[in-house]
Amino acid sequence: MASSASKRLFKEYKGLSSDPPEGITAGPISEDDMFLWEALIQGPEGTPFEGGIFPAELKFPKDYPLAPPSMRFLVDVWHPNVYQNGSVCISILHPPGDDPNHYEQASERWSPIQSVEKILISVMSMLAEPNDESPANVEAAKMWREKRADYEKIVRDNVRKSLGL
Amino acid sequence: MAEQTLNIPQLLVFIIVSVLAVRWYLAKPAAAGSRPAGANRAVRINPAHIDQVANMFPQLNRRDIAWDLQRNGGNVAATTERVLAGRGLEVPPTSFNIPTPRPTPTSRTAAPIAKPSQPDLITRYNLSSKLTANAESTTTEEQPKQKAWSQDRTERQANFQRRREEMILAARRKLEEKEKAKVSGAPA
Repeated sequence: MASSASKRLFKEYKGLSSDPPEGITAGPISEDDMFLWEALIQGPEGTPFEGGIFPAELKFPKDYPLAPPSMRFLVDVWHPNVYQNGSVCISILHPPGDDPNHYEQASERWSPIQSVEKILISVMSMLAEPNDESPANVEAAKMWREKRADYEKIVRDNVRKSLGL
Repeated sequence: MAEQTLNIPQLLVFIIVSVLAVRWYLAKPAAAGSRPAGANRAVRINPAHIDQVANMFPQLNRRDIAWDLQRNGGNVAATTERVLAGRGLEVPPTSFNIPTPRPTPTSRTAAPIAKPSQPDLITRYNLSSKLTANAESTTTEEQPKQKAWSQDRTERQANFQRRREEMILAARRKLEEKEKAKVSGAPA
């Protein structure tokens, strides 16, 4: 089981390295442990996240791709769908049948035909378009809805801070 | 005569029963004595072990962890395995007291407050030296894109790291230029 999971992860790593999607770099921190990855996501243009680089840690279960990985940002990300500790809450990271609220379509959730690349692209578009139906960070969601300028200022300040300026 | 022969077996039965009764009575305190030993074992549970398990599985109740640890003699690995195997921890009896109880609410509220601000990317990836080196060569375009995939494992690793660093440095330069443009553009 574990070996087929690491084979698949290796294949995905190869694919992501030889043909990386725009603004995404991802791979295992060390090939000794294929189940712990680090990904860099560029902030999408035309959003307050523009210009920022957001590192995240991906932890894969031993039965990947049957179960989805978990993803956690390693910098402060002020976003309705990102918990204060950096954990990303997005439908593609939820296993099907694990949705107590039934607001997500099964097709949006994790299945073995998804991939790391799809996750990272989804997260990138999540940065651009928060989903405030199920906020992970209620305060950020409230600010996003009611005081958009304040929200964007926090995001921009975080981008500057994360790049050491 | 007949009564007397009847009495001897009765006497024997009486002796046997009383011997058993005495033995039973003597054995009982010993069994009872092992109970305080069990209670002592509970005291010996290291709160650090509970913390260890609680850190791994923050969703678990500390009291449940302590109870499981007590029952398996403080074996952290066994408790961890049990949780990982999907067998939940048993709910401890109400009489069970957690050794050196530490109120969870304080540790939980303390965590976000103590949450250290994340280090910036330049520090995180140790790029400060490359930052100045690269600032001079900003005009020269980066080297032609190398093929990112290599058959050699260490080369792959190095390529991956280089791509990450380039991505961060490029973003940093871009932001710096933007700031400069803003500053020089403002007075004009």
